[in-house]
Amino acid sequence: MNNTNSPMRSVIAIAVAATLFAGCASVPKKPAGSEQVRAKLTALQGEPSLANGAPVAMKDAELAVVQAEISQKDLVLAAHRVYIADRKVDTARALAETHFAESERAALNEQSEKARLESRTHEANIAKSDAMVARADAEQQKAVAANARSDADAALAAASNSQQQAAELQRQLELLQAKPTDRGLVLTLGDTLFATGKSELKSGATVNLDRITAFMTEYPKRTAAIEGFTDSMGSDEMNQSLSQRRADAVKNYLVGQGVGSTRLSASGRGENAPVADNASAEGRQQNRRVEVVINQPAVDSTN
Amino acid sequence: MNSFPKRASIARRRLRIALPVLLIACAAFGKPPIPTTNIEAAKQAIANAERVDGATLAGVDLGEARAKLASAQQAIAEKEMVAGAQYADEARASAELSAAKAGAVKAQAVNADIKRATNTLVEEMQRKTGDRK
Repeated sequence: MNNTNSPMRSVIAIAVAATLFAGCASVPKKPAGSEQVRAKLTALQGEPSLANGAPVAMKDAELAVVQAEISQKDLVLAAHRVYIADRKVDTARALAETHFAESERAALNEQSEKARLESRTHEANIAKSDAMVARADAEQQKAVAANARSDADAALAAASNSQQQAAELQRQLELLQAKPTDRGLVLTLGDTLFATGKSELKSGATVNLDRITAFMTEYPKRTAAIEGFTDSMGSDEMNQSLSQRRADAVKNYLVGQGVGSTRLSASGRGENAPVADNASAEGRQQNRRVEVVINQPAVDSTN
Repeated sequence: MNSFPKRASIARRRLRIALPVLLIACAAFGKPPIPTTNIEAAKQAIANAERVDGATLAGVDLGEARAKLASAQQAIAEKEMVAGAQYADEARASAELSAAKAGAVKAQAVNADIKRATNTLVEEMQRKTGDRK
């Protein structure tokens, strides 16, 4: 019986021994969760910005993880150690993060300060350029205003000038004793211009002619017809010729003073258009005359 | 066949020796004392976490610490001193985590404020420059 049983028994013995041996030889199983905690710790240690941030807490966490990894039959104790290790790893991470944030702060403050400075400089520059622009604007406006003022002044001056000129014209015409007629303004120059029977202008007789010159120069659009007249003394031919020469003399004088010859016409009317009776000496004196007829310009009535 | 009863008798004899030794050991050490130090440390850690705004910034962990402390006190009331000590230690670890997280949140918030202010300045400057151009 022993012999028959012995192989069977030895098989059982071997199996039991193998089981026992396997149990002894196998590395003791690490507690549940300890591997995850170890992985968390390793990850934390692998982050350059955090690995050295909280050395004391890190050491603490490492010891706790080592504890958690110890094979433990007491599952409650094993779970407890894993729990503690997990908290401590998280705590070490949080402390390292705090440390990292604080170490970053100096650089951030520096950046902030730099930005503030730049902003201020920028604002100052803007203000400066605004001021410059405003100043330029003001100056431009001042210039515009000055221009406008000078324009206004000029206009005013021109207005008053033309007013003055109109007044002057009036005055001169009055001085010349110009009579407005259908033909235009008629100026009668008396016989004092010429010596009896002569057609040369007397030297002192040019005052009235100079006034006409000035008038014609001032009002360049006007033209004038110069007409010579005589009294009835002497022959018609002689009077006709004399009146023509006298009219020509006046025209020549005016041309010599700068009045364009095209603006002037000269004609002799002889004794045919008396303005007074030739019977008396006074009447004859009035008839010996040169009339200057200043025509109104067609378009501009003022000139 | 003879060896079986012989072995059994050896085992019984060993048990007879071991049992009294175990009993004596238990009687000698008695129940572990109340883990007062652990409880106090846990309470202090919780108070510290509350002081540094753990309740608002890392409330989950602080809540867990409080629950663990309650469990510790419960265990101690039930004379489970080992469990009580463990719960107390877990409460302390959780409270310390809460405080550490609160600190990190604050530090990061300060940095974020500085960054935001800086960015605002830079953006404002760029906007003004943009208006110019």
